Amino acid sequence: MTTGESAAPVAALRRREWGVIPWLGIALPRRRSLAVWRRNRDVFFQLWRTELVPPLLEPIIMFFALGLGLGTYVRLTGDVEYIAFLGPGVLASVPMLAAIFESVWGAYFRLDRHGTYEAILATPTRPEEVIAGEILWAATRGALNATMIFVVMLAMTPAYGLVRSPLAVLTIPATFGMGMLFAGMGLSYISRARSVSQLNYFFSLVIFPMFWFSGGFFPLDGLPGWAGTAAWFTPLFHAVELNRDLLTGDAGWATLGHAAWLAVVAVPSCWAGLWFLRRRLVH
Amino acid sequence: MTAIIQARGLVRSFGALRAVDGVDFDVTEGEVFGLLGPNGAGKTSTIRMISCVLPVTEGSLLVDGLDVRFYDREVKSRLGVVGQDNNLDEDLTVAKNLEVYARYFGVPRTAARSRIAEGLHLMQLTDRAGARIDELSGGMKRRLVVARALVSEPRILILDEPTTGLDPQARHLVWRKLRLLRERGVTIVLTTHYMDEAEQLCDRLMIMDRGATLARGEPRRLIEEHVGRDVLELHLTRAQRPATLAYLERAVGESGRIEEIEDVVYAFGARAEHAHAVEGIVGDAYRVLFRRANLEDVFLTLTGRALVE
Repeated sequence: MTTGESAAPVAALRRREWGVIPWLGIALPRRRSLAVWRRNRDVFFQLWRTELVPPLLEPIIMFFALGLGLGTYVRLTGDVEYIAFLGPGVLASVPMLAAIFESVWGAYFRLDRHGTYEAILATPTRPEEVIAGEILWAATRGALNATMIFVVMLAMTPAYGLVRSPLAVLTIPATFGMGMLFAGMGLSYISRARSVSQLNYFFSLVIFPMFWFSGGFFPLDGLPGWAGTAAWFTPLFHAVELNRDLLTGDAGWATLGHAAWLAVVAVPSCWAGLWFLRRRLVH
Repeated sequence: MTAIIQARGLVRSFGALRAVDGVDFDVTEGEVFGLLGPNGAGKTSTIRMISCVLPVTEGSLLVDGLDVRFYDREVKSRLGVVGQDNNLDEDLTVAKNLEVYARYFGVPRTAARSRIAEGLHLMQLTDRAGARIDELSGGMKRRLVVARALVSEPRILILDEPTTGLDPQARHLVWRKLRLLRERGVTIVLTTHYMDEAEQLCDRLMIMDRGATLARGEPRRLIEEHVGRDVLELHLTRAQRPATLAYLERAVGESGRIEEIEDVVYAFGARAEHAHAVEGIVGDAYRVLFRRANLEDVFLTLTGRALVE
């Protein structure tokens, strides 16, 4: 970045208006973000036949293939059935993928290929509001996805005991928060990406390891100690543990700790999304 | 007459490159103002600064009296922008494109509905309201982008190369629509590298090259000032050149001007009798073109280069 490019956006923020925070390098997004959220919603529902079926089918397949198929051969310590162990993992990791796909692939195409953001930025809707709308939408996708998985889990509960506490409904708002966290990460990443192929790195190096090694599919006790430590630093681990406590009703201070971890990390993650992508949009 | 857009010493740098290098201009309310110049002249950067999507590096730029650096939201709410690319929302239908766009301006739903119907009617797209974007022709897409820009009822319409890539019929239709909008009092600022477009549409224009202003004014006035009424354009072989040039120097050299630009000889300020005489010297009427001077000639005389390479 040249000095001309980095200096100018700051000047654009100097105006004294509610929500403009020069030391954060952004203006706080306002109501107009909803227009961007609604745009994505409208597209989603226009394509609902293709958008709704996969997220409903995928968890069912996972529960059958892993929970019942593989699970028959898995013996966990304690008297936990493998499918019950798997529940919180699927409920966290599949919506994570939904939020990430939306904020990486979807947003990248809107940013770089379709000129969607360029068109919006010619209107009084600000860059921060475009980004905030995307974050909210990715989180909504995650929460929608979680809702569908939750329904599948409820249906399977009489036979397999997947949902054992009314607290379990809190997994849906928790997924929304987790979705915001991942959307912030995804949007920060695409703000630096220059080609579609670069997006794959993010999936191979960040998302895929996290998907498998966050304690959602197998207990981390069996891995070397450092793997468990590393997992603690990933958001998905806390999302899985939070879901586990809420689904079983075995909630305590540790549960709050996981929620707090996610909330504390979500804030800088969303800020990074706003700041990095703003730089890409205002050039 | 009030200036609805006023630029003073406007600069935009990209690193070491000064894409817009100290430009001054005024756009009067209700006129069509053109920025004419080749690629890389700084036209697009200029209008992107007006639209508050490209930050100003130096100088001042006021739109309706508002500084674009500090009043982005207010300025943008007065503008309709038609960018170089048709960045329509391919995932949405024609009418839905406009509906979604109206929300970005915060246009209330009922007002939006009537404006969308009106905009589609104005741009002759009413029967395509339910169509997908990829079902539209290039001209229709362009008109839809204009309709979209009108959904906020802007006072100023900004168009970046409105007809580039369109076939002649589609271009004329877009031009007609733009003239209609001007009659309704919309101020229009457009960029183009087509001199015929500038002549067809613009009340006043500014010719730009390499970030600077070369000339400014009404199209006919610019032509008369810089090149005179008529031009003799000669496509000569090497053998035909010396005798012709010698004649032209004698006959036109005093009152007009002779320029050799690449393989073409231009005699600005030539008259019909000179054309006849040259035809006699060359002995090949196809190589001699006597015509009215145009903006291309203005650009040629100012830069020694053609507008469109």
